[in-house]
Amino acid sequence: MLLKDTQDLEAEVTLLESRLQDARAQLAASEYPSPPSSWAVRAEYNTNNNKSTTSTRASLHALLLLSDSALPLGSFAYSSGLESYLAHNKPSRTAPITSFHRFLKLSIASIASTSLPYVLAGHRQPSTLDTLDNDLDASTPCIVAQRASIAQGRALIGVWERAFRVSFARFETPASEGTEAAFAAIDDLSDALKSCLQEDEDLGPKGHFAPLWGVVCRAMGLDLQQTAYVFVMNHAKAVLSAAVRAGVMGPYQAQNVLASQALQDTMMKRIAREWNTPVEEAGQVVPALDLWIGRHELLYSRIFNS
Amino acid sequence: MRQPAMPIPSPFQSSIAKPGQGKVVLSLLPPNNPTLTTLTYKYPLKLVPRTGGFVPSPDSSALSDTCPSNPVHLYLLTYGGGLLPGDHIEVSITLEPRTRMVVTTPQGSTKIFKTTPNNSGTAPNVIKGHRDQMPANDHLSDMSQQSLDVNIGRQAALCYLPDPSVPFQHSRYAQVQTFTVDATAKGTERSSLCVLDWVTQGRTSRGEDWNFQFWRGRNEVWAEDDKGKRRLLLRDSVILDDESGDLEDTLSDEDEIENENTTYSTTHTGLENPVDLPPQAPAGLTPLNIIAERTRPHGVVGTLILSGPVFEALGSFMLKQFQSQPRIGSRNWSDHAPSVPEPSLSYKGDVTWTAARVRAGFVLVKFGAKDFETAKHWLGGLIREEGSVIREFGEEALCCL
Repeated sequence: MLLKDTQDLEAEVTLLESRLQDARAQLAASEYPSPPSSWAVRAEYNTNNNKSTTSTRASLHALLLLSDSALPLGSFAYSSGLESYLAHNKPSRTAPITSFHRFLKLSIASIASTSLPYVLAGHRQPSTLDTLDNDLDASTPCIVAQRASIAQGRALIGVWERAFRVSFARFETPASEGTEAAFAAIDDLSDALKSCLQEDEDLGPKGHFAPLWGVVCRAMGLDLQQTAYVFVMNHAKAVLSAAVRAGVMGPYQAQNVLASQALQDTMMKRIAREWNTPVEEAGQVVPALDLWIGRHELLYSRIFNS
Repeated sequence: MRQPAMPIPSPFQSSIAKPGQGKVVLSLLPPNNPTLTTLTYKYPLKLVPRTGGFVPSPDSSALSDTCPSNPVHLYLLTYGGGLLPGDHIEVSITLEPRTRMVVTTPQGSTKIFKTTPNNSGTAPNVIKGHRDQMPANDHLSDMSQQSLDVNIGRQAALCYLPDPSVPFQHSRYAQVQTFTVDATAKGTERSSLCVLDWVTQGRTSRGEDWNFQFWRGRNEVWAEDDKGKRRLLLRDSVILDDESGDLEDTLSDEDEIENENTTYSTTHTGLENPVDLPPQAPAGLTPLNIIAERTRPHGVVGTLILSGPVFEALGSFMLKQFQSQPRIGSRNWSDHAPSVPEPSLSYKGDVTWTAARVRAGFVLVKFGAKDFETAKHWLGGLIREEGSVIREFGEEALCCL
């Protein structure tokens, strides 16, 4: 009898502990006082492996969906300025690989300083999506970058509405407040985009990629660290994929760069740096990149849209 | 005809005594007299107006139905021609409907002096007052700062073509320029602005090449309707940071906090600490000059913002010039080892630039150039060639170019 009680109690302790862990994870997801560090991410994945609750499995599933290079966002059409950079910096003295590594570093620093604050803000406050969309549009200095951002943002809305929404509306029951806000924010923006398509309102909603990414990740149950990491990682993947197609390097070499510790360190460093940057303080840290992207239109021949 | 609004009593009248603050209100008194109804400033800032210097001919105006008012020229000066660490310049300008103003910096470049412990104590009260608003970065406290807030009314126009800012080695500087236009004005009644913001690599004569610690320039244009609702139209933000602060933060996080507590009571302990450290210590850990890496190959980078009916012609001209630049690259562009390396067309003339009509009719020109003189001749040349700025505001609007 006593033994039975002890077993029950032990079972209850385990249950309570796992619930505590879940609650802590949720609290962390809502607050995020500190930027991610590589060990924190690792520790989190370790705990995730041990307890495979429904929510973490759902989050892992969403993570894999969103990090898939086959996600139909049309990212392959954009080189984020690489094509223009190569045309502007003919590798005469330096090897093309060295020149590319420079570009990759600059590009990650730039995307982190200009767009990542909007991703984080979208995840933290999904209800501010329309303001974030307006402010990012106001902060995008050239047409080429604006086109790329809007096209991918609208594609993301499309994927969300046609593919993900049904499944993820079901997952979290009862849906947490943030998730609900995220659902509502995407719906509102989508409606606004549809209703203003005809009148071609210059200052209307645009559907920029970065804030939408944050909100969609929130809706799909990704935490803030995952959201930021996948965003920057996807950017790195897109640049590397463009590099392969532009003939800078081969596919194995590209995977080698993607897998490298150096790239991980760069990404973690940039994410940590912009973790608490409010969107008003977001800005271009690589002025030269704005020039390259803006001058993409002047290229004699182009294989990418940016 | 719309009556000119009565000058509004300044809500800042009592606080205008703060060092570095200035306030200007330009009104149009009947029949057509531009008058500075408010002009206050405090050391180290100096504002010098000049009226009646230039009279635009009526037929030259872009605004066909109304005779433009004469532009008032405002010189923006600081004692010593630059900013010391801790200096906080705060200028507020209101252009009432149909007024026009030219703002220039007649002292040449805005020098940003270096951040050294000896200079840091110039205005401790000002620094403390603004600490809370700043991002969590201790290094911002000894920065030089400049904020310009311009309210541009209906049919009013601002032409602000200053000299570049020249940040000296080890300097830290942050600048926020906010322009508010009337959201209810449409078509030719809109507010107009022309704003140039550029920064150089430093004193090239002393071999400086992006050796400062931090420079941030943020330009925002907001539209405000009659109910006071504001909407961001444009934000241009450039951050040049050598990121040496990051290393210090991670290395001596605890030390920083300890200093924090003592800085207020005994101002000198916190300030003298850096003397013991060689200023190049963080740079030694990061061998590359990050700012130079990110601006290469340019020695000056800048932005020109154009908006509104008065600058419409200039904006279109810049776009046309940009689009008629020669195409870059050859057909076999992916061949990265051409036998004869063709001269890169983009650097012909040593200016790399781009122009785009972004949103709400704004034309944004971004440029990078080898050095200050090159950029000055290029931009001055384009604006003079187009001619509308000189017709509307006079040659003195271009005195910095």
